[in-house]
Amino acid sequence: MKLDAATSAGDIPEALIEPALTVGVVTPGSLDDQVLAFPEMKPPKQWYLGLAVTLTALLIGVGCIGYVFVTGIGAWGNTSPVFWAFDIINFVFWVGIGHAGTLISAILFLFRKRWRNAIARFAEAMTIFAVICAVIFPLIHVGRPWLAYWLFPYPNQRALWTNFRSPLLWDVFAVNTYFSVSLMFWYLGLIPDIASMRDRTTSKIRKVLYTVLAMGWRGAASHWQHYEKAYLLLAGLATGLVLSVHSVVSFDFATSVVPGWHMTIFPPYFVAGAIFAGFAMVVMVLVVVRETMQLKNLITMRHLDVMNKVILAMSCIMGYSYMMEGFTAWYSMNEYLHHGFMNIISGTYGWAGWVTISCNILIPQILWFKKARASYFWMILVAIGVTIGMWFERFVIIVISLHQDYLPSAWRIYKPTMIDFGVLLGTFGIFFTLVLLFARVLPVIATTEVKAILPGAQPSHHGDDHHA
Amino acid sequence: MKTRLPEHGPLETPRFWRTLEERIETPEAQRAAHDEFLPGTIPAGPDYDDVHGLPPQSGVSRRDFLGLVSAAAALAATVACDRKGQGTVVPYTKRPVEVIPGVANYYASATHEGRRVYPVLVKTREGRPIHLTGNDEHPGVKGKTSPRVMADVLRLYDPDRLRAPKAQGHVASWADAEAQFHGALRGAKAAGKPVLLISGAVVSPSRKALLADLKTALPTLEHLAYEPAAGDAAEVAALASFGQAVDLQPRLDKAKVILSLGADFLNGEDPEAQAAWGAKRRLKNAQEAINRLWVLEGPLTLTGTNADQRVPVSPSRLGAVAFALAKELAAKGVALPTGTDLSGMSAGAPADIPAAVWSSLVKDLRAAGRNAVVLCGAQMPAEAHQAAHLLNAMLGSEAVALRAAEPLATVKDLEAAAQKMASGAYAAVLFWDVNPAYTYPKAAAWKEAVTKVPFRAWIGQVEDETSAQCQLLLPENHWLESWGDYATPGAAVLQQPAIGALYDTRQGEDILLGVLKAMGATVPDGYHAYLQARWKKELPFGTSFEQALHDGLVKGETKTSAPVFKGASVAAAAKKAVAAKADGLELVLFPGFATHDGRHANNSWLQETPDPITKMTWDNPVAVSVQDAKALGLEEGDWVTLALDGATLKLPAVIQPGQAPGVLALALGYGRTTGGVAKGMGVNAFPLVGLDPASAHARGGAKLAKAGGRKELSRTQSHHRMEGRDLVRSLTMDEFAHNPQGHHHMPELVTLYEDQKFPDHKWGMVIDLAACTGCSACMVACQSENNVATVGPEQVARGREMHWIRIDRYYEGELENPKVVHQPMLCQHCDNAPCENVCPVNATNHSPEGLNQMAYNRCVGTRYCANNCPYKVRRFNFLEYTAYKTEPETLAYNPEVTVRPRGVMEKCSFCVQRINDVKIRAKGDGRAILDGEITTACMAGCPSDAIVFGDLKDPKSKVSQLVAASRAYRVLEELGVKPAITYLADLKNPAMPMASTEGGHHEA
Amino acid sequence: MADETRKPLLDRAAALVAGPLLLGREALGLVFRPDREAPPETPPEAVPLRIPITPPEHAIKRRG
Repeated sequence: MKLDAATSAGDIPEALIEPALTVGVVTPGSLDDQVLAFPEMKPPKQWYLGLAVTLTALLIGVGCIGYVFVTGIGAWGNTSPVFWAFDIINFVFWVGIGHAGTLISAILFLFRKRWRNAIARFAEAMTIFAVICAVIFPLIHVGRPWLAYWLFPYPNQRALWTNFRSPLLWDVFAVNTYFSVSLMFWYLGLIPDIASMRDRTTSKIRKVLYTVLAMGWRGAASHWQHYEKAYLLLAGLATGLVLSVHSVVSFDFATSVVPGWHMTIFPPYFVAGAIFAGFAMVVMVLVVVRETMQLKNLITMRHLDVMNKVILAMSCIMGYSYMMEGFTAWYSMNEYLHHGFMNIISGTYGWAGWVTISCNILIPQILWFKKARASYFWMILVAIGVTIGMWFERFVIIVISLHQDYLPSAWRIYKPTMIDFGVLLGTFGIFFTLVLLFARVLPVIATTEVKAILPGAQPSHHGDDHHA
Repeated sequence: MKTRLPEHGPLETPRFWRTLEERIETPEAQRAAHDEFLPGTIPAGPDYDDVHGLPPQSGVSRRDFLGLVSAAAALAATVACDRKGQGTVVPYTKRPVEVIPGVANYYASATHEGRRVYPVLVKTREGRPIHLTGNDEHPGVKGKTSPRVMADVLRLYDPDRLRAPKAQGHVASWADAEAQFHGALRGAKAAGKPVLLISGAVVSPSRKALLADLKTALPTLEHLAYEPAAGDAAEVAALASFGQAVDLQPRLDKAKVILSLGADFLNGEDPEAQAAWGAKRRLKNAQEAINRLWVLEGPLTLTGTNADQRVPVSPSRLGAVAFALAKELAAKGVALPTGTDLSGMSAGAPADIPAAVWSSLVKDLRAAGRNAVVLCGAQMPAEAHQAAHLLNAMLGSEAVALRAAEPLATVKDLEAAAQKMASGAYAAVLFWDVNPAYTYPKAAAWKEAVTKVPFRAWIGQVEDETSAQCQLLLPENHWLESWGDYATPGAAVLQQPAIGALYDTRQGEDILLGVLKAMGATVPDGYHAYLQARWKKELPFGTSFEQALHDGLVKGETKTSAPVFKGASVAAAAKKAVAAKADGLELVLFPGFATHDGRHANNSWLQETPDPITKMTWDNPVAVSVQDAKALGLEEGDWVTLALDGATLKLPAVIQPGQAPGVLALALGYGRTTGGVAKGMGVNAFPLVGLDPASAHARGGAKLAKAGGRKELSRTQSHHRMEGRDLVRSLTMDEFAHNPQGHHHMPELVTLYEDQKFPDHKWGMVIDLAACTGCSACMVACQSENNVATVGPEQVARGREMHWIRIDRYYEGELENPKVVHQPMLCQHCDNAPCENVCPVNATNHSPEGLNQMAYNRCVGTRYCANNCPYKVRRFNFLEYTAYKTEPETLAYNPEVTVRPRGVMEKCSFCVQRINDVKIRAKGDGRAILDGEITTACMAGCPSDAIVFGDLKDPKSKVSQLVAASRAYRVLEELGVKPAITYLADLKNPAMPMASTEGGHHEA
Repeated sequence: MADETRKPLLDRAAALVAGPLLLGREALGLVFRPDREAPPETPPEAVPLRIPITPPEHAIKRRG
């Protein structure tokens, strides 16, 4: 790193010099050995312990979902007028978590932020897993889940068609598109790495598996040409989706007449919130990954620093959004909106409002300090806070808005049941189980992309004396 | 009574035979018939005649094996294909003459509750009674009835009904049961020992005649007519004031000023009063005459919520206040009845009432004169009743009709009977439709006394607390399976069955006829014949019995001399009233809105219909005034102990705005220990009823203490203020005259979209809040018509009740005596319905006639529509509320309305089945639909005619005209959803400026 | 009318399992008969599956 800085000192101002993206000596060969060897190794005890915990959570979730299937939505705390509660909170929460991955892999790719290369794979995987957790809810939250397929506009002899005016239908398309594009994008990136693993492995079964998955990748120049083109195209597609998915999810609320939902600020506010929550989750997981998988040289403190800055920026946008909600309630002179906003800060669920504000706006401000951005303690604290805060933000939006809307006669307090918590726990179980399996089965870092940012990998005007 | 099991031919003799030998059953022929297949080809076959026997051979034969395989395949296929499996659909093999599938039959019939008679029209489908309305021919009720009567159709299908006689706890045949019963009575007669019969009120002339016949045949018979919730004080007062029992019917059509002393005549029980009230309140303009309702009461009643001027007064003070009023009126020149002595009273306004209110009330009553009426609540002390009788006599009120009535037994009579039973004097006791083991205040002593009677028989429908002590249980028909008659003012009413008896039951009168016969009397064969014989004698010339049955009544006023008020009774009552003072808290025990005296407690429709005041379902919390709750530190739902006279109850408390300080109110009829629905719901308050009939239901000296902990209340409304929103508009007559729209500035509603076109019809509804009393009859009517499921107290506590129409009740102003408004809330069938565009599967959409339709089959249950409904009138089947139901419960279903499964959204359909029924009939007749021809269930059930339904496209229709009324407004109109329901603002006619509502009168 | 169309999921699953199970038990019972001399019990009282509905006798309907 020092070497790099010294050589370029004469040409450009120091502030503009991009520091090295890896720490220590990393060569393409050592990178392969470091990253691709993982799936070959026997997992440590801690991994099994973790898997046991997450699988338990997963099974509890599956049990609770089964119970809901058998008895009905009444197993949850949902009631009139809070017809949506944990089901949709969890859905929005998990869709939001997914956003960081796509943002890192697609938007930062297009902006040529090269630091993204080392963390893009893991973030993308988390996107896929989060969306898997999210799509569970539209399926199980309907009253008759065995008919959930009616939400798809498929030709049928009953000549019934879906209602394209319904934001829920837009959701179906948005989330499906998002999931399929994210999956393709992720898989495409994986192909060269899988091919490397195919070539490295000695196990026969793995060989067959990787051969199939690598789709005949040989690393030929034509392969690379197509690969780069496809990657760029998918990045372009996914970029739009980062913005569209959560905008569409926010339409569920924004296009309704419920006071507290009916707001034009919702689409950008939701997208910012999603990136916010997603980055917090990525920070949390990457800290664990870099520590336990000895990847400190690839996932550097600089990565964490940059992501913490993103979190801080998003936190400020959230703060602005919250203030705008209050401003709208006041400026509109609409009694319903006004009542709804007062409920957030002072009603029965006022505590939830303050949890949201504290976790999302107040605590992340610590990240203005460089020391905090470099401290595990603070960044984990902020990340956990943001995760909790963003879950409660959806609680505030959904439950608080619904529990007191227009006619006071219909107002009612909502209370979740143990089944609600069980399903929430279950989704965390699913998410982290998938994360753990991913970490052991597939390369957690895109070696081909990291190779591209190793010192000397890119042609530069002073590249000649790099190794001098 | 015949049994209704399928009849088999004699099993011994084959009904079909192949040979004559077989017919005459020679052994050879039988063997030949058995070994149809040649002997030896298969092992000796199984004896198929013996269902329990098994094949004698060892191992399974090829035939058995194949049989089993095919049976297994068939079973597997059946089980696997259950998804679309239908219940058995069997056409009538012999269609009953009366029944045409798909066509409703209507029967005129009648029932009664206490002394009140309800002539009804029964709608039957495929032979099953499914819906009740009032008999439209009757001059008094005019097609209306009460919520409890409407719900009583469900009792017909109560699965807990006793289906055959029981003797000593075992099912017995009627022959055995009667032998036992008649034997015991004959023995009593022979021994000359008294026999006690306790029944409900006797309002039927034929039943009265039958009982007289029985008394002749069995001279030792003693009869008590017992109505535990009728109000003993009213009986005591009537005997004192008139020297006889009286039945008192308000004639509100003649009343300009009404003073209620705790009387709750607008709670839906009295369709005649409701109708008159509605007629006086549905004003087109402020120039029309309106009545004025003054209410002095302790607990807040439904009538109190409709008052123009209400003053909270504790029940013990009511008598004194009313006598003071009499004195004041007398001083102002209103003549006292002869012999009246009010010298014991001090003159002037009593301390309980503000002076300005007092003088205004006196002025009002005096001015109204004969058009004023004073009504007293049945639970109030006898002095208050006597004062009311005096005031009516002084004013010469035309607005109340008094008729001589059969006397009712009071607690005192029951106490005497219990003592006599305990002494072993009675040879037999017969309970007929009464439950004293539950309703008598000292139940333990009562049960102990009953067991001292050697022979105890019980006639009733569902085994109860009383039947537990009886050896012989005789199951009774539901009234919809029975004959009877009633005398009502204006018409003699007939009761006829609308269905044959479902089980092996008999009607009580038939059982007594059997007794008569056993005693050697010559009586007609069955009560139908008995009734017919009596009626044929008394029918006016030119009317056939069949015609009377068809109409359900014969019009005509029976001439009875009105009871005369005895002035001499006043002095003692006034003295007692002045001295009356409650120590400790005063407790008012009133019949439960749903359960009455407990007889309806097993009816889930009623249990789930919220109390119109507290909005409680399935429970009877004690209502505590705001002041007392503050003093005791009570909050809603807190467990409390209520102690009075050695009886202590633990129950939850609710804080009741408007209730007089120092007064507690508690509903009777809960805490039953029998019945699948009733058991364990609420607490039994009868132990708190006093043994002094003069104030059995209004008692002093109650003690209330916090018991710790809180109960989650199964309440349908938990927020009681309008939060300053323009939801229920209420106008004084002054405002109505000058500024009916108030200061409500409606933003101009612009839309980018084209208005929806309605080519033929546009259905709409108008609800007049001035006429609506909040009685909740519409809720029960809707429940019955639309197969609305009940969900139970736990689900109600979570907010999952399923009612398609509800009554929103809001308090305004200070809580000590708030203004109360009621608002029926149902699907508004918005033209721009927010629910419609959010449904992803198009399960809810708009009809070309303006109906917001729900396609249950298409609904997947995303619940988005309910979130987006500003009125929150959509109901979701959170759990499976219907599929577990079996016969007989399912027989109560209206076949024209889909029964909704779990996971499906539902809501008011504007009774689309009724709309279509009329449309089809009009089309068949080749004519247009007449205005008023289509009635929704809520409209037909509304006793005050507050609801009007019709075609908004027809400018001459009633609904179109009402929509243009000056009081008209739409709820949440500013959202631009264009509701199809228009509300007419509530009207209040206060005698003085309404101070109490200043704080809460909101202008949006 | 008893509506079997929406028999809850559990019931259906139970029927699916219990049907063949019971049938199998019955079949085994045929083969391995415990004691063939057991006297047949008195048959239980026949309870009609559906409650028979009869029109009222002598009543006169209003319309329909």
